[in-house]
Amino acid sequence: MIKIEKLVKTYPGKVPTHALKGVSLDIAEGELVALMGRSGSGKSTLLHQLGLLDIPTSGKIIIGKQDVLSLSDAERTRFRLQHLGYVFQEYALIAEFTALENVYFPAQAFGDNDAKKRAEHLLDLVGLKERINHYPNEMSGGEQQRVAIARSLINNPKVLFADEPTANLDTVSSEIVFKLFQKLNKELKQTILVVTHEPEDKKYVDRVIWLKDGLIEKEE
Amino acid sequence: MNLIDIKTAYFIAYKTIIKGHKSTVSLIIFILSLSFFNLMFVSGFLSGFSDGIMQSMIDTSTAHIIVLPQEEPTRKDFIVDQNSVRAQIQTIPGIIATASHYQLGGSVAYDKEKNGKFKYVSAPIIGVNQKEEKDVLTVHENIVSGEFPDNLNKNEIILGANLSGGFDTVQTTDLGGAIVGDEVQMTYSNGISRTYTVKGIYKITIGGIGGSAFISTKEAEAILSTYNNASEIMIKVDLTKDTLDGYINKIKTMLPELKIEKYTARLSTVGILISAFDIIAVIVSVISIIVAAITIFVMIYVNAVSKRRQIGILKAIGIKESIIELSYILQSLFYASLGVVGGLIIIFWIVVPFIAIRPIPMPYGDASLTYTSLGIFINIISLIVAGILAGFVPAKIVARENILKSIWG
Repeated sequence: MIKIEKLVKTYPGKVPTHALKGVSLDIAEGELVALMGRSGSGKSTLLHQLGLLDIPTSGKIIIGKQDVLSLSDAERTRFRLQHLGYVFQEYALIAEFTALENVYFPAQAFGDNDAKKRAEHLLDLVGLKERINHYPNEMSGGEQQRVAIARSLINNPKVLFADEPTANLDTVSSEIVFKLFQKLNKELKQTILVVTHEPEDKKYVDRVIWLKDGLIEKEE
Repeated sequence: MNLIDIKTAYFIAYKTIIKGHKSTVSLIIFILSLSFFNLMFVSGFLSGFSDGIMQSMIDTSTAHIIVLPQEEPTRKDFIVDQNSVRAQIQTIPGIIATASHYQLGGSVAYDKEKNGKFKYVSAPIIGVNQKEEKDVLTVHENIVSGEFPDNLNKNEIILGANLSGGFDTVQTTDLGGAIVGDEVQMTYSNGISRTYTVKGIYKITIGGIGGSAFISTKEAEAILSTYNNASEIMIKVDLTKDTLDGYINKIKTMLPELKIEKYTARLSTVGILISAFDIIAVIVSVISIIVAAITIFVMIYVNAVSKRRQIGILKAIGIKESIIELSYILQSLFYASLGVVGGLIIIFWIVVPFIAIRPIPMPYGDASLTYTSLGIFINIISLIVAGILAGFVPAKIVARENILKSIWG
């Protein structure tokens, strides 16, 4: 599903920062994988490159059969809209939209007329059926993160990326989120790549990839 | 960009405005209303100033159309048989009134101290039939001393305040303070001399008429040794029934041998002043539009910068930059449109009624704000176009930012 070859990301500056130093990795369809490592190990940077939110310095990323780095800006935007789901650490919901609007909006923008129905279904799936007309500032952190997860699934993405989705959540909410990932992975065969720094999250995933200093240190 | 993209952009713009801080939205609209008010007020005031001066010239000096004696193939001194000519002109529908003038030049002498020391001033003298004159020009409404009688005697004269002196005029070449009842001596350019009693003094500050004098037609005919002729015929028309050019064409067809002039040919220095004001009005309007555009730019930029995170999220979930830019253009359009409405309300519901109650006195009368439908339309379009451009640029700048930088700063 995902193939990464010698991915390098260097942030320019007086002293350039080598965030990724040649990462190569394969993730199979339907896998639930965790990227772990200390702060600064490069796990979020790797996820940003895979989610097409940033452009690597060199290397190759193939998602499905598409070499995504060969796409133009507009094509990358379209690919992101159609094939990728992304869950941010700080939810990244649009404050002016209700929970329902946040979820169906990316599909509506794609011209999907059934978006609203599916958004309602997804919000039901993440346990927020009663909160669909609430705005983000009227919801708890855990609820907002579940809205963000529902949103990331609205276009039936090939892969779901989650960048430390439980970092701002309490233990109970964190467990709800990871159990939701497990449910999505098992029931929908959703490929999920999640960045986390909590060792106890290992129990929820199929595979753990450890990063250190911009390189893969080990796999479990 | 397709219909779905436009709908998406509209949805973002709608939600952003509806869920935006009401105080911020109100402030933006208020500031844009003031910008549009500024644009409308300055252009309306200058336009009113130009129109006021022009109308004053038409009312007091030039009328709408002036008929002059034949120039080609031979130049004649007078319009011959002016009664017949005016009767023909008055058959044209929409002609309100006509009046004939004799133009005479000469030197006026006045001995203020009655000590034999005369002050001499050259002045244009106009021979008029007072009754006819009152139907065309409004000199009689500007009498500041004495009267402008219908039956001016042959030995009576009416002076402009700029010629008589006094009445707060600031002329260097006046008679030094002639008043009603005083005698002045006229020496015409043909050598004839007359003594007149001042019957009235009028004050008109716009144009050269304020430095002229009026005598009766009969007296003018006696001096010029002519009868039933005219140096010029002044015509007042109803501009709601035809255009000025329409009337001129009809008169030209009717009287092909005579020269026909529009009032604009007589504006002279006033015309230069009006042209200067028109240029100033354009410059001030352009500056007002630029100021309005900068105001919109700053506000939309601040708005867009404060929404960087929202823009970053939109891009992250796959919304095209062009949709985000369009959403900000739509927001600008919304603000600019309400700014226009607000500005129009301030102008037509507050300022215009206020000026009607408390007029601002000007040399030609009370100041007014003058607008044409086309002028208002141009101002509206100018502000809206400025708003769209000023909204597009900051949206483009912010939408181009890196997604992660937009979201996390």
